[in-house]
Amino acid sequence: MQVGFIGLGLMGCPMALHLANAGHSLHLWARRPASLEPFKDIDARAHASAAAVAKHAEIVITMVADGPDVAQVCLGAGGLGEGAAGKSGLIIVDMSTIAPAVARDIGAKLAAKGIEFLDAPVSGGEVGAKAATLTIMVGGNAAAFERVKPLFEKMGKSSTLIGDCGAGQVAKACNQILTGVGVAAVAEAFNFARKSGVDPARVREALLGGFAYSKILENHGQRMLDRNFKPGFKAWMHQKDLRIVMEEAHKLGLMLPGAAATAQMFNAMVGSGLGEEDSIAMLKLLERMSGSE
Amino acid sequence: MKLGFIGVGAMGLPLAGHLLNAGHALAVWSRRPEAAAPLLAAGARICASPVEVARHAEIVFTMVTAGEDVAAVVFGEEGLIHGGRTAGGQFSTLVDMSTIAPAMTRKIATRLKEQSISMLDAPVSGGVAAAINGTLAIMVGGPAETLAQVRPLFDLLGKTIVHVGENGAGQVAKACNQMVMVAAIQACAEAMHLAAASTVDPLKVRLALLGGAAGSRVLEVFGVRMVNRDFRAGVEARLHHKDFGILLDEAHRLGSPLPIAALVGQQLNALMGHGWGRDDTASLLRVVELESRPT
Repeated sequence: MQVGFIGLGLMGCPMALHLANAGHSLHLWARRPASLEPFKDIDARAHASAAAVAKHAEIVITMVADGPDVAQVCLGAGGLGEGAAGKSGLIIVDMSTIAPAVARDIGAKLAAKGIEFLDAPVSGGEVGAKAATLTIMVGGNAAAFERVKPLFEKMGKSSTLIGDCGAGQVAKACNQILTGVGVAAVAEAFNFARKSGVDPARVREALLGGFAYSKILENHGQRMLDRNFKPGFKAWMHQKDLRIVMEEAHKLGLMLPGAAATAQMFNAMVGSGLGEEDSIAMLKLLERMSGSE
Repeated sequence: MKLGFIGVGAMGLPLAGHLLNAGHALAVWSRRPEAAAPLLAAGARICASPVEVARHAEIVFTMVTAGEDVAAVVFGEEGLIHGGRTAGGQFSTLVDMSTIAPAMTRKIATRLKEQSISMLDAPVSGGVAAAINGTLAIMVGGPAETLAQVRPLFDLLGKTIVHVGENGAGQVAKACNQMVMVAAIQACAEAMHLAAASTVDPLKVRLALLGGAAGSRVLEVFGVRMVNRDFRAGVEARLHHKDFGILLDEAHRLGSPLPIAALVGQQLNALMGHGWGRDDTASLLRVVELESRPT
């Protein structure tokens, strides 16, 4: 299949390579030419604009930082929408994490141009992107989902159609509530154990067998014990994702006290210089704030 | 002086009245012309658009809801900007008394400066009663020389006028004001609720507290509304909810944790979700009561 890919960063690069390895022809556009380096010896064509990518591809995947970037790539000058003029059947699949309302807005504007849009954010981080074990949460039209599914299968271990346009981003927001609050809970538990003179490693081991078991306790917990704060998933990105969550809650008149408290802790991480570390550096923040460094 | 006023709602109307009563010429524009009717009777010129206000007024006051509203009034198709001196109008100074995001204020001030128009951000605290009595607290951001020119007018509207700093500084002060005040309303609601849940008379608790270290304006004003279960707006809760959106957004941008404000923001979200946005913020008591009602 002719597949466009825009956004070849930490996540996007390995995802695009999986598609190429599965025999698809890639059409790429990157803001920074250096991002194209890993693709120079494979079946991939670099184009001068997103519009040119849209001309050559049947399906275009975007994986960028934030809502305005997606809007720019899809609807801006030289964007995908422009390149798809007079062509039918193009599907744009946005795998970035953005606000549900922005996804719905972009979806509606693209639909008016005859372009199908799926929001398909992922969970699993850079590790999941490299191992092709991402969890993919999809919003949009069922027929479009079926067409893109073979590509999803090359990038992730599961892809689920959650509902209409925006529903994938809602599911991702729920995911970010659980992981954000979860990381904070594990960090608090470990700091509590250590301050009480108890070995957090033993606590973790015991808890893994019980009702407090979670992947976060298992994986993130281990990295906390190893004091391995290399990202993974950077704290500033989790801060951004929780902002999306909290803005939705504000709009909906919805109370999310746990997520709200956690979002403030991520603010503190970014403000105190931990933004570029993994979100498990939450542990460092708690240690600093409770004088247990 | 030739003045203009845009946004004659519950707050704006009495403020415009004070300026008019002090003998200034006042040009007024309102989205709903009937809102300006009392000012027409008092001798104001009612205009068909913001730009018409700008043609007749040197200093224009705005008192509207959101940052987008201010931007639209100033830069819109029929906006004030088209009635500046270079365009043959009178407009040379904008005094924005709305509560909007500091970043938005700074952006508007910068764009106005390019057209040689000076701006003050001058949000207020004190509510409708203080607006009527001319006893508002006014928090000002912007150039000192502009404030010097506008200060005699502020004296007609408020009793405390503080020059906080550059453009945007007034809005930062207002955000701080909202944080402290609404957190206090929440604390007050929780105290009144604890008293009632303990079958102790909240009225007496409030009276006792007013004399001690927990005494405050909020306990005085919002406490009495809670005791009387009078949830009609003074200040509509939806406005506080809007302000919390602004200040939590700033906290995100600055990487600055506001743990209490964040939780109070959630209580306000719940208040909105129950449809009490047009009632008084004393309704935070009703949110606390809901949370403790057995289901």
